[in-house]
Amino acid sequence: MANIVLDKLVKRFGKQVAVNELSLEIKDREFVAILGPSGCGKTTTMNMISGLLKPDAGTVRFDGSVMNNIPPGKRGVGFMFQNYAVFTYLSVYDNIAFGLRIRKMETEQIDKEVQEVARLLQIRHLLSMPASNLSINDMQKVALARSMVVKPQIFLLDEPLSNLDAALRNVMRAELKKIQQELGQTTVYVTHDQVEAMSLADRIAVMNFAVLQQYDAPHNIYNRPKNLFVANFIGSPTINFFEGRYRGGEFNLKDFSAGKMSVSKENKKQVDDSIRGEDIVLGIRPEHLKVGSSRDGVSGLKAKIVSVEPLGSKTIVYMHPDGNPSAILKSSMDSDFKPKIGEMTSLIINEKNLYLFDKKSADLVMRFGS
Amino acid sequence: MFKKQITLKEPKGMDAARFGFFMILPALVFLLFIIIFPLLASIYLSLSEWSPLTGGGTRWYEAYKFWGWLSNYWNILRDADFLMSIVRTFIIVAVVVPVEFFIGLGLAFLFRDNFVGKKIFHSIILMPMMIVPAVAGFVFYMLFQAQGPVNAVLSVFAFKEVSILWLQGTWSAMIAIMIADIWQWSPFMFLILLSGLMALPEDQINAALILGASKWQRFRMVLFPLMKPVIVIALIFRGMEAVKIFDAIWLMTTGGPGTATESISVYMYKHGFKHLRWSWVAAGGIIILIIITLISMQALKPIKEREEEQAA
Repeated sequence: MANIVLDKLVKRFGKQVAVNELSLEIKDREFVAILGPSGCGKTTTMNMISGLLKPDAGTVRFDGSVMNNIPPGKRGVGFMFQNYAVFTYLSVYDNIAFGLRIRKMETEQIDKEVQEVARLLQIRHLLSMPASNLSINDMQKVALARSMVVKPQIFLLDEPLSNLDAALRNVMRAELKKIQQELGQTTVYVTHDQVEAMSLADRIAVMNFAVLQQYDAPHNIYNRPKNLFVANFIGSPTINFFEGRYRGGEFNLKDFSAGKMSVSKENKKQVDDSIRGEDIVLGIRPEHLKVGSSRDGVSGLKAKIVSVEPLGSKTIVYMHPDGNPSAILKSSMDSDFKPKIGEMTSLIINEKNLYLFDKKSADLVMRFGS
Repeated sequence: MFKKQITLKEPKGMDAARFGFFMILPALVFLLFIIIFPLLASIYLSLSEWSPLTGGGTRWYEAYKFWGWLSNYWNILRDADFLMSIVRTFIIVAVVVPVEFFIGLGLAFLFRDNFVGKKIFHSIILMPMMIVPAVAGFVFYMLFQAQGPVNAVLSVFAFKEVSILWLQGTWSAMIAIMIADIWQWSPFMFLILLSGLMALPEDQINAALILGASKWQRFRMVLFPLMKPVIVIALIFRGMEAVKIFDAIWLMTTGGPGTATESISVYMYKHGFKHLRWSWVAAGGIIILIIITLISMQALKPIKEREEEQAA
């Protein structure tokens, strides 16, 4: 079994810094997702763990031993590529046996191992087929079997589900999770899909612009995002931000004509203590931002409904705040909510659902209600 | 690929197939003229004993007056020079094509990695291919003279005066011709194999690397099988070209000494234009055509099977 420690990893491509001083500790048997938009350095990080790329600075350690100069084939890692990289000129059987043959294993032993892993992934009926004729999900299973059969201690998955259609993706997601729990390898999973990361991982490393933004459990990433980027990247629809100023127990929000919101007495002291500058950004998730006038907590903030997306289980309402017609607010309402487009409505905000960010540093200052 | 279908309006009263046929008709007629006509003319001539000397100048279409049925075929197949030219040509092909293949493959692998001056070396390697074959032939004619540079270099290594009469010896002339051909056409192999190599899916190679494959194992178990279609095409292209070898031989030895380096093309040229035996050469041409067609069909079999597999 193996834990992984990345210590101040740096990788440059020419002048471009792909990964900047990345430090990350992945525990034995842990499932970690590296999440970020394309070009954030997540695949580069993965390739440095696998050994396909050499870091320009910093160290990669497995169980305490430095891996920097160990070739990929000797690191004991399994790697699943985004397009699966199945050897199309071989049969399914030969694909799975590939790594075992390289290890000069006895033919009978190879057969035993291949049958075993094929049984586990339910692809025994495919073994004699040429790999070029497989469907995309069978191809993925073959790729998985091929890397599993050599019993790697560390499993690296590079966007393994992104080529599948939505329905199949959910099935494979559950299957991956099940297999990982059965085999218990340390797993690193690169993805740009927050749902995959949230549902699969024990911990998520969110990256942007070559820098690690936050490394925490999914629940904390969602509820205590470290900065504006993480808050904005996680959650669908994305979080609402209100820019403004804080002075004397009162927020003054730019986008609203009557933009004053006062802080309750219980929270005022905490805000006063933790705030760093007057310029702030308030965040509120769409599922916490309600509209209407009949409920408690109606604020003085008003917005005009511009578009509605009924999704079945819920209805997403899009609005312009009354002071800034180019900004867009999102509210996730119950599906029986039937708004009128063009209507001016009041926003219902419960103070405990607010996130307070410092505008200058973009960091989370405090989370109300926790 | 292209999801949008472009539809042309068909003229009324004509189905799609007929409309299509009329659209390609002009090109078809032109093609028939340049391919079928010379072929038919060759067959027609080969069945006669007509020649410009006996048959009155260029009036080849009057060859029926000298009709000979299969006499040309019968006689040319018993002509030792003709048969030897075929054997000799295939010896040349059997030597130069594999040598050019391995040189090209080796160079292509070197060029997978980056090194200083890669672009310049790339251009230098391709240069022989750009040179007019006749000029290359003449250059090698000069190189292989008894007092020429090749012997001069060999003298340095042998520590004594070397004066091999390269182009005057039966086998040494063959070797000189093969060297010239290898020099000129290895770059062609290099070019095709390099482009094939660069187009390989990087992930499959990396997958093998992570599974622990050594450099040789990656070549044998991944790169080579992936390259197979490109390799087959490179060998067929080069093989078909090599059978036609003429320029280098004509400039270096004109098929000599005697007929020792006569390839099929040189034999044809000599008999056709020096001895003006047109019908004789026509018969020879048809025989060669049949041989080449049979060989190519065999060689192309794996590619065709592959295509059918992919279509299925």
